[in-house]
Amino acid sequence: MKRLILNLFEMNCVSHITHGLWRLPDNNRERHNDIEYWIELARLLEDGGFDAVFLADVIGTYDVFRGSADTSIRQGLQIPNNDPSLVVPAMAAVTRHLGFGITFSTTYEPPFAWARRLSTLDHLTKGRVGWNIVTSYLPNAARNFGLDGEVEHDTRFEIADEYLDVLYKLWEGSWDDDAIIADRENNVFADPARIRPIDHDGKYFKVEGPHLPSPSRQRTPVLFTATASGAGTKFAGQHAEVVFTGGPHTDFIKRTISNIREAAVEAGRRPEDVKFVTIAGVIVGRTDAEAKAKLAEFERLTSPEGYLAHAGLPFDPTAFPPEAKLKEVTSTDGGIGRWRAFDPEQTVGEFLAGFGDLSRHPLFAVGTPEVVADAIERWLDDVGIDGINLLQYHSYDTARDFIELVVPVLRDRGRLRGSYDPDESLRDRIFGAGDRLPDRHQGARYRGGAHLPVTRLSA
Amino acid sequence: MSAVTSARPRPLRFAAFVMNTTGHIIQGTWRRPTACQTDFNDLEHWVRLAQLLERGRFDAIFFADVVGLYAPYRGDERKYFEAGLQVPSNDPSVLASALAYVTEHLGIAFTASILQEHPFNFARRVSTLDHASKGRVAWNIVTNYLPNASRNFGLDGLTKHDERYVWADEYVEVTYKLWEGSWEEDALRQDRAAGIHADYDKVHRINHEGPRYKVEGPHLVSPSPQRTPLLFQAGASEAGRTFAARNAEAVFIQSPNLAAVARDTADIRSRAIRAGRLPEDIKFFQGLYIVPGSTEGEARRKAAELDEWIDYDAQLSHFAGALGIDFGHEDLDTPVGELTTEGVQSIIGWIKDLVPDRPATLRDVAHYTASNSRIVGTPEQIADELARWQAAGIDGVNLVNAEIPASYEDFADHVAPVLQKRGLMQREYAEGTLRHKLFGRGDRLPDRHPAARYRRAFAPQPA
Repeated sequence: MKRLILNLFEMNCVSHITHGLWRLPDNNRERHNDIEYWIELARLLEDGGFDAVFLADVIGTYDVFRGSADTSIRQGLQIPNNDPSLVVPAMAAVTRHLGFGITFSTTYEPPFAWARRLSTLDHLTKGRVGWNIVTSYLPNAARNFGLDGEVEHDTRFEIADEYLDVLYKLWEGSWDDDAIIADRENNVFADPARIRPIDHDGKYFKVEGPHLPSPSRQRTPVLFTATASGAGTKFAGQHAEVVFTGGPHTDFIKRTISNIREAAVEAGRRPEDVKFVTIAGVIVGRTDAEAKAKLAEFERLTSPEGYLAHAGLPFDPTAFPPEAKLKEVTSTDGGIGRWRAFDPEQTVGEFLAGFGDLSRHPLFAVGTPEVVADAIERWLDDVGIDGINLLQYHSYDTARDFIELVVPVLRDRGRLRGSYDPDESLRDRIFGAGDRLPDRHQGARYRGGAHLPVTRLSA
Repeated sequence: MSAVTSARPRPLRFAAFVMNTTGHIIQGTWRRPTACQTDFNDLEHWVRLAQLLERGRFDAIFFADVVGLYAPYRGDERKYFEAGLQVPSNDPSVLASALAYVTEHLGIAFTASILQEHPFNFARRVSTLDHASKGRVAWNIVTNYLPNASRNFGLDGLTKHDERYVWADEYVEVTYKLWEGSWEEDALRQDRAAGIHADYDKVHRINHEGPRYKVEGPHLVSPSPQRTPLLFQAGASEAGRTFAARNAEAVFIQSPNLAAVARDTADIRSRAIRAGRLPEDIKFFQGLYIVPGSTEGEARRKAAELDEWIDYDAQLSHFAGALGIDFGHEDLDTPVGELTTEGVQSIIGWIKDLVPDRPATLRDVAHYTASNSRIVGTPEQIADELARWQAAGIDGVNLVNAEIPASYEDFADHVAPVLQKRGLMQREYAEGTLRHKLFGRGDRLPDRHPAARYRRAFAPQPA
């Protein structure tokens, strides 16, 4: 029976993707600046048996809707937004098993420093780190890093592809497993014959190396990515071990899964080398009525405007009468922002109804623990996902409710383990095949210095 | 200037000078049975050290860093790996949030080169850490002098020295704008009833456009306790001193003796005055290596025993590799006067003055790098010596280790109590941010610091 990968979806900001709900009583979202917030969260998740906390990130503001960042800033919508990687060590210090998925963009930063930071994190966590590879989509992010606008989509993936190549060379190829000798008698800490520069010289990057950290437990962290585009599918097939996927309906998601598995096979991997995780909206109660009451409270506070700003709508539908057709109010051809396409025949009113609608996620379950567990099992078995990123309406109540009410049911049904296996790395937990990338992954081709220029250090 | 002769001395500040690696300054001692430097990959190692330092009332833990290998020694980089000499090394900033969580007062200073990341992202990471530590973060601003580091970041070689500081000037300018100017003090409202998290009119784009960087903003992080982290700097060159005088709040010096301290601190302080700052706006931290014993004899025996473990070839490789002059082929016992490597005479000729009674050798240079600014003695003798350093003009000490944790345990257990009795070290921490603890005048940079000009300097965003 397929076991569920259970992640909590987080972001180091106030309003991540449930806009307006930071105002719920006792919600802790505003405490994200405080390291205690993350410590409490990490302990809660590890006590509750979560596999990982998945930290989203952006490096710019949402300032397209109504031509400014007004809505985002007023709503705490991913601004302020702090660095995700830096709260991980504190969480790692108080946990033993919880994994950490960290989002970082390949578009604007040199690969050498990021490779080193991830290796450091993998050492500190003893192999509990994953990297969610993104290429950034916000125009403001581009302008924060010196560009006039977004790098074109396919070029971003071309850059990402080379970025990954540099990182594989550093993580997998630069140091052999037995390079650290720590021979106190003969005064040899590391053997230079087993360490080499990478001398990468590509279209976008030039990196000499060697990698500065020694091999960490996983070497390459677990590679996550979130994509559905053409270039993204190829990229995911080549690189990703866990794909964070979504879409308007289950058929779309099934198609994405099969496309990416196909791309993985084309890249010389096996279909099962890629796992799929989808966002899950879960509102659980001891009774159906209790769950529905929670939903009603969330609906009262949800902010459609927040969702409009988040979608980066290039026009303001709220400025038009609800009965007007979309094609009459915007010249945009249906592809808006990056979230969804719309039907030009739809009315403004119909269109707006989708924003702030908490049930818009395909995997959305409201009800008793059994109802929620049934829904999750259906997704595992029928849609073909492997895990969920649990969306938070309330921090920490969403996670707490899930742990208290749903986890025991999923355990009874064999979908979650009763406890962690001691000392397993994040990769081993997800795939059960050791700490390292499988040999057929393209990152493995640099092991032992293969496909790298002849070493200079052992001269 | 400072009243160094008053009856009750001001406490000196103490930082533990460490690096996220095996061999930092004193090479070879990692082999001692009690040395734990090799555990640097392990979070617990640093957690225990931070807690020890806080128990010992250290002001800060100071992480050095480099992002490349030292220049070839004896033709290649072999020696650095064999000695664990700053390779392998891990990113120090990543440790900070964990160390902040397990301590309450300890300052966390880390080195970051302008080479390694874009200022927009770096500013954001620092602000995140300043929040996580409740205002205990310091940034040691460095350029880069290692060609390999440059080549790790896409450059063909070192950027010219003075150009590096032009680069640094712009880099800090971008970060100052983000830290000080982007968010007004009361921008963050968090008003649940009104549904207003932040006040849009008080969050500003910075629209920086310079020769190297173009950064729109706004800063993504709300104002942290210190906003700008405490600023450390260590440049000794002409351009470095000018940069320090303008920007630094704490300057790390490695002056060879008391006369040099007086000269170096006076020089930087006078440059600070010319930059519109006050002399007391800068604290000087001298790098010192302290070996205590219950008697002078015991201290000397301990120092001699530590010396036996020192890898002098590694000491010399660090020295040569930092200079970029490879005299690794020369025998350690060759008199300096007979060395043939080009450029080496002018670089190490000074060693002859330190060994007047016989021909000085490379071994003398190596010994010097491991014993320079070393104080060996009883806690009382150490206190006397530190008082002299203080009188010469230092405000604090960056304490080099031969062994982790033993060097710091020794200091905390045996030296600190005596220093505290003499008023040379704090007994209890002051409350507040690291900046406030050091200067006692609030969490933020003083108005005369160049970063302060960006406060309220940016127009409201276009509606």
